[in-house]
Amino acid sequence: MANTWALCALWVGLALAATLLAIWFKISTALSEIVVGTVAQLVIGVFLAQGGLAGNTQWITFLAGTGAIVLTFLAGAELDPVIFKTKWREASIIGLAGFFGPFLGCTAIAHYVLHWAIMPSWLCGVALSTTSVAVVYAVMLELGFNVTEYGKAILAACFINDLGTVIALGLIFSPFTVKTLIFVVVSVVVFAVLPFLTPRFFKKYGGRVSELEAKYILFLLFAMGGLAVWAGSEAVLPAYMIGMVLAGTVGKDHSLIRRLRTLTFGLLTPFYFIRAGSFVSVPALMAAPVTLLVLFGAKTLTKAVSVYPAVRMHKYDGKAGAYYTLMMSTGLTFGTISALFGLNHQIITQAQYSYIVGTVIASAVIPTIIANSFFLPRHLLPQTVKNVKTEQSIQRPVPAEEG
Amino acid sequence: MGSPAFVGIQRILVAFDASPHAEHALDVALSMAGDMKAKLFVLAVIRPPEPAESAEFHAVLEDGQERYEKCFVPLRERAKQKEIELETDIVLGHPAEQIIHKADTIQASLIVMGKRSHTILHRWMLGSNSERVLRYAHCPVMIVH
Repeated sequence: MANTWALCALWVGLALAATLLAIWFKISTALSEIVVGTVAQLVIGVFLAQGGLAGNTQWITFLAGTGAIVLTFLAGAELDPVIFKTKWREASIIGLAGFFGPFLGCTAIAHYVLHWAIMPSWLCGVALSTTSVAVVYAVMLELGFNVTEYGKAILAACFINDLGTVIALGLIFSPFTVKTLIFVVVSVVVFAVLPFLTPRFFKKYGGRVSELEAKYILFLLFAMGGLAVWAGSEAVLPAYMIGMVLAGTVGKDHSLIRRLRTLTFGLLTPFYFIRAGSFVSVPALMAAPVTLLVLFGAKTLTKAVSVYPAVRMHKYDGKAGAYYTLMMSTGLTFGTISALFGLNHQIITQAQYSYIVGTVIASAVIPTIIANSFFLPRHLLPQTVKNVKTEQSIQRPVPAEEG
Repeated sequence: MGSPAFVGIQRILVAFDASPHAEHALDVALSMAGDMKAKLFVLAVIRPPEPAESAEFHAVLEDGQERYEKCFVPLRERAKQKEIELETDIVLGHPAEQIIHKADTIQASLIVMGKRSHTILHRWMLGSNSERVLRYAHCPVMIVH
């Protein structure tokens, strides 16, 4: 499709439709956009235009890539440095267990059971090793665990888990050369300087309508992303790290984060998630549904086997342990970023990409579907956690009670 | 857990989602609380999108808190004028679950909630909150149409 504006209208129209579906069915916009992208590619590809949504058009690739980078930065910026400082040891053990278990386990199963070649198997392991911090945080808030020591450790562990995924993605598939060394050294220096430089810079020049802060953040993300790609790595690696090191400063600037969210949700992420969905091959999924089941089983099993001993090691009560199963849920963002990286770099085929994204979606939505189908108030369940101090309400600025 | 003995309407819990149905339910509950000298609890539940995704989840959370806090300001004024003891709360989670949990926690004498009309598809996919509250609550439930 040569008409840029018409193509753009089509994509934004799909984003609008996906948002409406997300509102009606109370699902996340990301999930809705992936599904809409898959269906639209199938329908348009078959009935309207041979290239379908033309997801490899350069400007769409740019917008989608920027969406992934900014989304990753925002995910990193949600880290609570205070929690992390107090719980770093437990978080590191549980988080690394949560990463290495599925990473190695899914790699082995993809290679030995599905007979994938070694590089696609590694990629599969990386993509299925992620944990959805947001899913865990949502349930923690719901049950009041976010204020408990247990909840804080698990939350921090999720960040470590995803950090493992991002580092693996950024380093495993890149050749280790002098460029890699330069990238690592420059990154370490930049990550060390940013927490000191950024607040001072913003204090002196920020707070104006010219949006200096947003430009500064985008400049950093693009510059470090460019360096990462030059070194054969992946742009989301420095983006996540920049988010984490700025979490204590920029991450607390709600106004700036909101402006970045507007840019991200309004323009960038629809292109990213619809594009990610458009590469899913429905015929490939239908041709070998067992592959999907094997990968889903591998993900669930390896996550449980690796996280359970790590949590028990820290003497958390067995009843509370019911909630670390949440860590099995895969983050749509990191899961699809990893799979898309593999597809773009021809590490995996489109069919393998479809199975991995299908598994990512399944592990994110199946627990929700089961919960909705067999609804029973959680606090009435016999396994309700009684040994952990809970606080039901969300902390908020205005006092709750007034006469 | 069995139903406690009914000792009159002393604590009314209103489930509030800022919809016209919920506003209507709130009007009814305010009137009842004034007449019966009951304490009024208003609960707003922020439902995260499923599955929750990092940036979107935090945006929904912040947006929900701000929106409900704004709604509660005139409500507090109305309650004050009618000399009704009021407590407001904002929680996160599944609406039916949180409403039932809150009712148990405060030992509500009555739950008042608005009835939203959903399509068959919506009900099949997500279920009706009012039906779930009716099924599991340990106190009388009033659905306001």
